Amino acid sequence: MTLLPFLIVTIGGALAVLFLRGPERLATAVGLLALLVALVSALAMRPNESLAIGESGLATTGYLRLFLVLGSLVGLILAVIGAAAGSRRDATAVTLAVLGTSALALSLPDARLAVLAATAGGAFGALLCVAPLGGRAGATIGIRALRATVVAGTMAIAAIAWIGRDLSELAAQPVVFGLAYLAVALAVAIRFGVIPVHAWAARLADTVPETTLPLVTAWAPAALAIVALAWADASIAPLRVDVDVDQARAVVLAVALASIVLASVAAWIQDDLEHIVGYAIIGEAGVVMLAVAALDPEAWAPARMWILSFVVARSAFAAWAAAVRTTFFTGRVADLRGWAIRSPLLAIAFLFIVLASIGLPGLAAFDARGALIEGTVDGPLAVVAWIGVLSPLAFYGRLFLVGVGRPDPRPGADTSWLPVFSPLALTDLRRWATMTWSDNRAFIATGSATLLAVVALAVSAGMFGGPAAAAGLPPTVERAAESLEPDQPESPLETPGPSLEPEPSVELEPSLEGDPGASEPGPEGPGPSFEPVPTASG
Amino acid sequence: MNPILAGVALAVIAGAVAAVASRDPRVAVLALATTLILSPLLADPVAAPVGLAARFVGSILAAYLLWIAVRDRPSVGPVSAATEGSRIGWPAEVLIAAAASVVGYSAHGLGAPADGPALASAAGFALAALAVVPMLTGRDVLRMGTGLILLLDAALVVRVGLGGTPDPLEQLVTSGLLVALGGTLATLAMAARGDGTGGLELTADSGTRRRWEPDAHPLDPAAGPPR
Repeated sequence: MTLLPFLIVTIGGALAVLFLRGPERLATAVGLLALLVALVSALAMRPNESLAIGESGLATTGYLRLFLVLGSLVGLILAVIGAAAGSRRDATAVTLAVLGTSALALSLPDARLAVLAATAGGAFGALLCVAPLGGRAGATIGIRALRATVVAGTMAIAAIAWIGRDLSELAAQPVVFGLAYLAVALAVAIRFGVIPVHAWAARLADTVPETTLPLVTAWAPAALAIVALAWADASIAPLRVDVDVDQARAVVLAVALASIVLASVAAWIQDDLEHIVGYAIIGEAGVVMLAVAALDPEAWAPARMWILSFVVARSAFAAWAAAVRTTFFTGRVADLRGWAIRSPLLAIAFLFIVLASIGLPGLAAFDARGALIEGTVDGPLAVVAWIGVLSPLAFYGRLFLVGVGRPDPRPGADTSWLPVFSPLALTDLRRWATMTWSDNRAFIATGSATLLAVVALAVSAGMFGGPAAAAGLPPTVERAAESLEPDQPESPLETPGPSLEPEPSVELEPSLEGDPGASEPGPEGPGPSFEPVPTASG
Repeated sequence: MNPILAGVALAVIAGAVAAVASRDPRVAVLALATTLILSPLLADPVAAPVGLAARFVGSILAAYLLWIAVRDRPSVGPVSAATEGSRIGWPAEVLIAAAASVVGYSAHGLGAPADGPALASAAGFALAALAVVPMLTGRDVLRMGTGLILLLDAALVVRVGLGGTPDPLEQLVTSGLLVALGGTLATLAMAARGDGTGGLELTADSGTRRRWEPDAHPLDPAAGPPR
């Protein structure tokens, strides 16, 4: 199975980097090499393979492959920028661990197991807090990030276990289905750190470097979100006609809209790039929460497409912020006047990032986000959602205006953005290479950020087969039958995986007690009382 | 009721009580290890040997990593790594666990017939109840970490009570999660101990966000960005 080499490389690479963390250069080199091998392994991965292990197993899909290819590529570029910007030695280890656990989470058909893997990925993220501040302050922020991960994981494990069994003799009110859905949705919200559960994520932005922030607040939670989407579409959405989950869904919608709108406001008032990046991630994670709130198979493909675009675009924004800091030795917005004039390459990268994250009609990510909004809210709320998703233009505009302002005359302001090459010293190549690297840190960071911005724009435009992969089915072991044809059924419900079987076992039939209106239960109005009826499968 | 299973459930809960009540970090880690090692036995039928072995190895490794972080070392300073322990004493923790166990046993299945033993639900609820206070109010890494591990273990045990015995792959993934959690906690604990006096205490939360210091403009741009 072609997934196994990827798992071995990522997990083994993470352990190797952690064991070699003493000599920083060696750890960085091993980490970069492992990320490169992981990228090759992901490219060599074949969809539609499965490996049965006991009653469960692993299966590959086209979406898994694309997620891991992009994750490895983004991780590699961020690691290079981190090395140029003087990032932390544990960053590559955490990147590899997050990639490995994400690979497991997305390849496990059983949601109960997938949640465990996704939680493990979040646990590794807390390691990033240790190195920067060192000691007690880092440990304090790290353990709070870990607490968010464990609480979210616990909620998801319990809720999925509750639904994932034979419920044909359900004695409780069907409203508990809504509670289970709410628990999983809030678990995703906590992991992303969306508003109002963003305190830990905001503290994290104080601590970890820009290049590692997307790992903890975007990539690792994205795996849980994808698992939660598959679970909700298979376990909750089919019951939506019979079971009133609208109250729980309203809570999730409120969280999503609050995050989309308020995160932009929070980003607007920040005075440093790190927090702008942090809140930008939170804002776009709100759109993922919209997808979780959709509970509609029609939202399956747009949601997964948006997640792909979101994680890559936010990583590019973080890379851009790191390149700015490396080039101008500051991340304070007020000190960055004229950044776009001084470094045209950074301006080009910024333009690509804005296009990738805001998008234009016709771009796959823009259309996916539009489909999610149209599928979840309507009327005034839809207007609010559209204003919210376009509101990042405000802080992007602020950064742009600062960038085209008159440059500040100050020491170091005349630093060239172009590469600098000293004459080749054949007698001391090592010293020459070290000096060349040191002299070109800003250019390397800027060039890498621009490359990542191009990748983000390409993903946003739907290249690399993103929309087709997003429309595929979740992994299944018996019949790994994901099709990459866009016209294939987009619902993951038609061929549910093993973990998704119990949900049809409950058939909730309205008990008609003299209420003729109760024959057509709907989400609105007083619902009829439901009594669980055993089905043949139950 | 299976008496052996009842004994295991009691041992799991006793280990959790000792873990949250003890002020000696080594005792707390040992008690935590007891809970983690015995938890996978709370299943009927007992899990397959391969899966059980994976859980045992994962639990022992997670606990051993924590042990490394809390043991006395001259290199980390004069203060030994004490943990807070329970503020209300172990008898009160026992009563909390007992009450939660009764609730868990009574609510077994949560509205539908369950595939696992009722004792697993009882133990899971007790672990969750014991985990809440350290997790929310803990002021040192080990106490908060103990709460987190117990909370996760509670979810795993309740999951067994609801869904039945996990298969070997699930046990393997669970082991990986426990090792990841234990390793991360151990790293955080060592980071805290390496700073200052060598204790496990967290920094006081001022309630306000840390502001980035104004970045000093470099005197020598060739020296590179500040790190």
